[in-house]
Amino acid sequence: MGRRISAYGLTFSLPMLIWQLLFFVFPLVFLIALSFWTVRNFRMQPDFDTVNWTTMYGRAIFWQAYGTTLALAAGAAVLTSLLAFPVAYAISFKLSDRARRWAIMLMVIPFFTSYLVRIYSWQVFLSDAGIINVMLGWIGLGPYGLLNTPGATLLGFVTLAFPLVVLLQLFSLIFIDRTLIEAAHNMRCGRLRTVFAVVIPSARVGLVIAALFAFILSFGDFVSPIYLGGGDPTTLSILITDTTKSGQQWPRAAVIALTMIVTLMAVAFLSIRFAYRGRK
Amino acid sequence: MSTENPANRNPVVNGALKLYVVLAYLFVFAPILASFVFSFNADRFPSIPLGGFSTEWYRAVASDPLVWEGLRNTLLVGVVVSVISTVLGFGAAYTDYRYNFLGKQIYLALALLPPTIPVVIMGLAMLAFLSRVNLSGDALAVIIAHVVICSPFAMAVIRLRLSQMDPSLEPAAWNLGASEWAAMRHVVIPFCRPAILGALFVTMAVSFDEFAIAWFVSGLNETLPVKVLGFLQGQVSPRINAIGSFVFVTTMTLLILAQLLLGRPDATKKENAS
Amino acid sequence: MTQDPLVSFEGVAKRFGTYTAVQKMDLDIRQGEFLALMGSSGCGKTTTLRMLAGLEAPSEGIIRLSGKPINDLPSWSRDTPMVWQSLALFPFLSVIENVEFALKMRGMGRAERRARAEQWLDRMQIAEFADRNISQLSGGQRQRVALARSLVVEPQILLLDEPLSALDAALKVRMQSVLKQLQRETGITFVYVTHSQSEAFSMADRVVIMSRGRIEQIGTPQEIYRTPRTRFVADFLGSSNIFPGTLQADAQGRAAIATDSGTFLLDGQHGAAGQAASLTVLDTRMQVHEQRPAPGVNAVEARMIGEEFTGATATLYFETPRGQEIRVQKSHEDLADLSVAMGRSFHLSWSPADSHLVHE
Repeated sequence: MGRRISAYGLTFSLPMLIWQLLFFVFPLVFLIALSFWTVRNFRMQPDFDTVNWTTMYGRAIFWQAYGTTLALAAGAAVLTSLLAFPVAYAISFKLSDRARRWAIMLMVIPFFTSYLVRIYSWQVFLSDAGIINVMLGWIGLGPYGLLNTPGATLLGFVTLAFPLVVLLQLFSLIFIDRTLIEAAHNMRCGRLRTVFAVVIPSARVGLVIAALFAFILSFGDFVSPIYLGGGDPTTLSILITDTTKSGQQWPRAAVIALTMIVTLMAVAFLSIRFAYRGRK
Repeated sequence: MSTENPANRNPVVNGALKLYVVLAYLFVFAPILASFVFSFNADRFPSIPLGGFSTEWYRAVASDPLVWEGLRNTLLVGVVVSVISTVLGFGAAYTDYRYNFLGKQIYLALALLPPTIPVVIMGLAMLAFLSRVNLSGDALAVIIAHVVICSPFAMAVIRLRLSQMDPSLEPAAWNLGASEWAAMRHVVIPFCRPAILGALFVTMAVSFDEFAIAWFVSGLNETLPVKVLGFLQGQVSPRINAIGSFVFVTTMTLLILAQLLLGRPDATKKENAS
Repeated sequence: MTQDPLVSFEGVAKRFGTYTAVQKMDLDIRQGEFLALMGSSGCGKTTTLRMLAGLEAPSEGIIRLSGKPINDLPSWSRDTPMVWQSLALFPFLSVIENVEFALKMRGMGRAERRARAEQWLDRMQIAEFADRNISQLSGGQRQRVALARSLVVEPQILLLDEPLSALDAALKVRMQSVLKQLQRETGITFVYVTHSQSEAFSMADRVVIMSRGRIEQIGTPQEIYRTPRTRFVADFLGSSNIFPGTLQADAQGRAAIATDSGTFLLDGQHGAAGQAASLTVLDTRMQVHEQRPAPGVNAVEARMIGEEFTGATATLYFETPRGQEIRVQKSHEDLADLSVAMGRSFHLSWSPADSHLVHE
C-alpha cells in the first residue's frame, strides 16, 4: 500500500482522473474564465472584464431570485426531511426484513423514471381542470389555482428529493446500533423520547446529509420552478436559462452559475461541519 | 433473532406509522402511475374521468421518424457510455481499493462528485466548454457529458463488490507466482464480473433516462439540458406519457437484469468456483 | 436465608418461531447475591437476562421482581439496568452525559444529576475523563463508564451481559476484581451472563449452568466443581474424567459401577442396580503409580499418550486398553519420583470417596 508509482497502478487510476479533469474540472474552470468575457454584437470574445459580475450583481432581480431560490431550497430540504423521516423510521424499525427489502427496492424505482415525466404528471393533477380540482368539484369545492404557485414548485422539489432523502435517512437509521435503543429503554427512556434522545443524535450525520442533498437538488432544479411554479417567482436556474437564451449572454449566465456553485459549496461545508460537530 | 417485547410496542403508533408509509409510497408513485394510465387515454387533455382506452399516443410516437432517429441515437449513446463509464469506474474503484496516496481524497471527489452538480450548471459549463473545443452538437458531446455523470455510478457499484473481496486474495495469487496483470485477469476481474455487468446496465439506464425524452422530442441536435427547456411548454401532449412509459419499461428491464446479476449471492459463488 | 427472592422465574419459556431458546425455567435470584448465568452460546443465558430487562417477552411463565409480576411492563418502566456486551455507550454524548442519562430520564434536576454522576465517575476512577468523547477512551475506561451509567441510579439489581468479553486477558482479571468489590460494597444483586468458567467461578456466589435452554445445575462454584450433577456439566467444566457405565452391587453388596474400563467402587448408595450412569473423577484426584496399588482403591491400567506442562502443574494423558482417555493433573513435585515417558504403562487410581455419579 505504499506510494510507489507503477505502470500497472496508473493504468487503472489515470483514465478516470484524466476524463474528469478534461470534461468535469476544465468546463467548470472554463466557466470562471467565461464570466470575464465580453459580448459584442451577439458574439462572445475572450476578455478580462468584470462587467458581467457588476451587471449581474447590480440587478435587483438577481438578488430577488437568489433569495427566492435559497428560501425555496431550504424550505424543500426541511419539508422533505420532516416528511421523509417517519417513513425511513418505520421502514428501519417497524417492518420485517422482507418488507424492508421490498420498501427499499420500491423507493429506488423513482430514480429511474424521468423527472420531467413526473413533473408533467403533477401538472395533470394540479391544473385548473386537473384531477385534484375535478375531485374537489365533486364535493362542491374549488376550483383552486394550484398550478403556478410556489407551493407547486415545492411539491416538485419534494418529488425530486423525497426518494433520495428517505433512502439516505434509512441507511443511517438501519445502521444504528440496536443496543443503544435498548440501553435507552433500559434507562427509563420511553418510545418517543428515545427517538429524540438516541435515534436522531445517532443518525445525525445521515440526516443532515440527506437534507443537504435535498437542498442541492432543489437549489439547482429548473424543471419544477418553470413547469409547476410557472416561472414566477424567478429562481436562479430560470435566470441562467433565460440569460443563456437572450443574446448569447453566456458570460452573465456563468456569473450566476459560479455564484450558485459557491453557495452550494458553502452550504455543503457548513452542514457537514454541523453534522460532525462535537465528534472528534 | 431478537424480537421486540410486545410490552414495548404500541399498536396504535405502529399502525399509524405503517399507514403513513403507504401514503408516502402513494405520493411517490402517483405521478408515475398517472403517466402510465394517461398514456393509454384517448383524450387530448388528460383529466378524469378518463376517456376511452387508446394506443393513439404510442402510434403517434411510433410513426414519428424523429423518434426512431432519437431512439437509435439514444441506444448508441447508451451502449458507448456504459462501456466507457464502466472501464473508468472499474479503474477508479480498484484504485480506491488497492492504493493509498497523497491527494486520494481529491481523486475520490473528482470521481464521485459530478452527479451532485446541478444539471443546469453542468449543461452550461459543458456546452460552453465543448463548443469552444469544437465538440458540441453531435453525439460525441452527449457521450462525453454522460460519461462524466455515469462513471461515478459504475465506480460505486464495483467498489461495493471489491469491498467484499478478501484483501489477501490478490497477494495469494502473487504468492503463487501470478504477476499483477495475471492476478487482475484471473482473480480480480472474475470476482468483480457480476458487478461489472451490473455497472454496464446501471450506467446504460442512467444514460438512457437522462434527457432521453428530450432527445426523442427535440430530435438530434437538441441534446443538452439548456437546449431542452422549451420542450414541455411547446409540446404538452400525451406523447410525453407514451415516451415516458416506454423509457420507464426499458429502464426497469435493464435494472432488473442488473439486479439479477448483482443480487444473487449463490449465482456469484458458482461463478467464482468455475 | 429465608427472605423472599428478589427475582423469580416461574415456568418461564421463550420461543422464537419454532426455536426454543429457554425451556420452562424456574429460578430464584436472591437479594444481594452475585449470580452467574453460564453456558456456551445458544444455551439461553442471554435470552434469560433480556427477558428480565424486558427486551424480550416470555412465551409463557411469570417473571417477578420483588414479588410483583413484570411481564407486561415495557423495558422503560422496569428498574433493571443492564450492561451490554457491546457496552452500548452513546457515542454522541460525553462520558458524564452518558452517566447522567438515566437520571435525566427520571426527571432529576441538572445540578443534582451532575453531582451524582460526578460522584460515580469518581468512584469508578474516571473523573478526569468526564468531558471526553466515548471514542477517546480505552476498553477498560469504557467498561467503567458503562458500569457507572447503570449504577448511578443505585438500583436493586444490575444485569451484565458478557461485559468483559472484549478486554484482553490481563484487563479482564483486573475488572473481575473491580466488579466483585463493587458488588460487595454496594450490596446490589448482580446477574452476570458469561461463557467463561473462570469469570463465573472467580466472581459469583452462585453459578447457574445452562444448556439448550435448560438449567443443568445451580450451586456455589465449589459445589459445581466438586460434584457436577449431570454428564453435561462434567463435560462442560472439562476437569473430570468421565466413565459411562451401569450401576451394580459388588460381591460384598457395596455400590459399584461397571464401565468399559472395569468395575469401580462408589462411596454410599446411588440408585438401583442396572441403571445407566456415568462415573466422574476430577483430574486432580487421580494418582499415578508404577506398581499396581493396594486393593481398596479404584485402579485402572493405562498407557501414557501425551503430556502438557502449564506453569506449576502438568497434565498427563493416558489411554486404557479399551480406548478410554484419562486426564491427570499433578504438580511437578508429585511427578518427581515417577519416570514418565510416552508409551509406558502406569496404574491410575482414585479413592471411592472421589468417585461421583452423574445421570444423563
